[in-house]
Amino acid sequence: MTEATTYVGRRSTRLAGNFGLYAGFAVAVALSLFPIVAVLMLSMKQRHEVFAWPPAFLPEAFNLSTYVYVLTQTPLSRMLWNSFYLTAWTVVGCLLVSAPAAYAFSRMRFPGHRTILLILLVYQMISSLVIAIPLYRYFEMLGLLDSHLGVILVYITVEIPFTVWLLKGFFDAIPVSLDEAARIDGASRLQVLRLVILPLAKPGLAAAMIFNVISAWSQFIVPFILLQRTELLPISIGVLNFAPGQTEGEVTIPYLAAASIMAMLPAIIMFIILQRFIVQALTGGAVKG
Amino acid sequence: MRQNRPALLWARLQESPFFWLMPAAAFLLVFYTYPLLDVIRLSFTDAKLIGGDYAYTLRSYSRLFRDPATLRSLQVTLIFAIGSVVLKLTLGMLLALGLDAAVKRGLKGMVAVRTSILAAWVIPGVIVGVIWKLLLSTSSYGMLNYWIESAYGTSIPFLSEPQMALMTAILANVWRGVAFTMIILYAGLQKIPAELYEAAVIDGAGAFARFRHITVPMLVPVIFIALVLMTISGVNTFDLIVALTGGGPARSTEVIALSVYQQVFKFMNLGRGSAVAVLLLAINLGMTLIYLFLLRLNRDRN
Repeated sequence: MTEATTYVGRRSTRLAGNFGLYAGFAVAVALSLFPIVAVLMLSMKQRHEVFAWPPAFLPEAFNLSTYVYVLTQTPLSRMLWNSFYLTAWTVVGCLLVSAPAAYAFSRMRFPGHRTILLILLVYQMISSLVIAIPLYRYFEMLGLLDSHLGVILVYITVEIPFTVWLLKGFFDAIPVSLDEAARIDGASRLQVLRLVILPLAKPGLAAAMIFNVISAWSQFIVPFILLQRTELLPISIGVLNFAPGQTEGEVTIPYLAAASIMAMLPAIIMFIILQRFIVQALTGGAVKG
Repeated sequence: MRQNRPALLWARLQESPFFWLMPAAAFLLVFYTYPLLDVIRLSFTDAKLIGGDYAYTLRSYSRLFRDPATLRSLQVTLIFAIGSVVLKLTLGMLLALGLDAAVKRGLKGMVAVRTSILAAWVIPGVIVGVIWKLLLSTSSYGMLNYWIESAYGTSIPFLSEPQMALMTAILANVWRGVAFTMIILYAGLQKIPAELYEAAVIDGAGAFARFRHITVPMLVPVIFIALVLMTISGVNTFDLIVALTGGGPARSTEVIALSVYQQVFKFMNLGRGSAVAVLLLAINLGMTLIYLFLLRLNRDRN
C-alpha cells in the first residue's frame, strides 16, 4: 500500500517536472525565434501594410515579391556573392597557413613554443578595431584599401590564432607513434602531415572550417573600415544600406527585412545541417580554452 | 648522389620549426603585430587621418581621462558588459540546468530546442541589431510596441530614450549570446561525476542542496572562464550597437569601440582615437591575463 502510493507520488512529481521543463523550454524557444519570425513576416508585407493601423503580425499574403525585387533590382545579390567570395577565400587561406603551424606546435619542441601559443591566445581576445585603424593607413598607401584582396588578408590573419589552437588540440589527440611509424617507412614530415595527420584530423578540419565560415560571414569591423564601394561590400555591411534614409521614409522597411533574412539565411541553414557537429566542437573546446 | 642534394635540403628544411610556422607568422607579423605596435606609437602623436606632418606628444593621454566623453563611454561600456554578463549567466545557467535535466530524463525534442536557441548565435551581430530595431520601433510596423500599447495604453521608447536604449542594447546582446553561455555551462555540467549526486540523494539532500553543494562548486572553474569570455566580448561589442542605436540617443549607447571609430573616422583625430584604442587594448589585455590565470588555476586543481 505504502509502496504503491510513493510510486504514484513519485510518478506524478516526475510528470509535473517534465511538464515544467517543457513549459520553460516553450518560452525559451518562443523568445529565441520570435524576432526572426517577426522579421520574416515583415519581409512579406506590402507597402500599405507597413503603414496599416492596427498592424497585423501575419502579412495579407505570403508573397515573395519583395525578395524578387531586392535580389534583382538592388545590389543585394552582389553583396551576398561578395560575402560568399570573401568567406571561401578566408577559409581556404586560413586552413592552409594554420595547419602547418598547428603541426609544429603539436609535434615539435622549440624555444618560445609556450610563449608564442600564449601570444596567439592574447591576439584572439583583442578587438580587431584596434588593428584596423593602422591597417586603414597602410592599405591606403599600398593601394589595398577598398579591395577584396586586402580584406581577405586581414580576415585570414584574425582567424589564425583560434584556428591554430583548435587544430593543435585535434592534432595532439593523434598518437605520435603513427607519425613515427610513417617516418621509419621513409616519409618526410610533410608527407606525415598530409597522409597521416590530416586524414585522421578530418573532424578538426571540419570544425575549423565551420567556425571560420560563421565568423567570416559575420565580419563587420574590418570591411566596415576597409571597404567603401557598394559593389565590394559584403552583406553584413550592405544590409545597412537598406535602412530607410531621410528621403524615402519607411516605405523601404520590407526591403530591409528581406535583406536581413537573406543575410542570416546561409548561416542558419549551415548551422541546422551541421549543428550536432558544431555543438560537439563547442563543448569539447570551450572548456579547455 | 648530386641529384639527391635538393631532396636532402628539402628534408632538412622540414626539420626546422621555422619552415612550418613561417606562413602563419608572416600573416600575423605583417597584419597584426606591426599594426598593434603602430597604434601604440600613433597614440603618442597628434596625427590626423588625412595625413600630413605630425609630432610626438602626450596630449592624447592627458586629455583622455579629462574628457567627459571618454569617461562616459567607459561607463556605458561597463554597464553594457556587466548587464550582459549577469543576464547571460543567469539565463544561461537556467537553460543549461533545464537542458541537462531534460536530457537525463530522456525527454524528446531537446535537439530541436537547443538548435532554436543557438540559431540566434550564428546570426551576424549587425543583423541582430537590425531585426531588434525593426521589432522595437515605435512606428506602425513595430509589432512589439503595438502589443504593449494595446495592453497598457502607451508604447515604450525602447530606442529613443537614453537609459532605455542602453537596456535595449543589453537585451539584444543577451538574446544573441545567451545560447553560447548555455552551451559552455552545459558542457561543464556533463563533467560532474554522477556518483556525487547519487551519494547526496542517499544522504537525503534535496534538489536545492544538491545544486548549492555539488553543482555550483564543481562548476565554478567553468563559470569563471565563461565570465571572462563574456566580459571580453561585451567590451568589444561594436556591430550590434552600430546597427541598433548608432551610439545614440545623445551618445547614451556609445561604447568604447564606437568612440574609437568616431574619433578616428568621423573626427579624423588619428592620434586621439589611437589613445582610446590603446585603452580598449589595455582592457582586453587585462581581461586576458585574468583568463590565463584562471586556466592555470584550473589545470593545477585537476
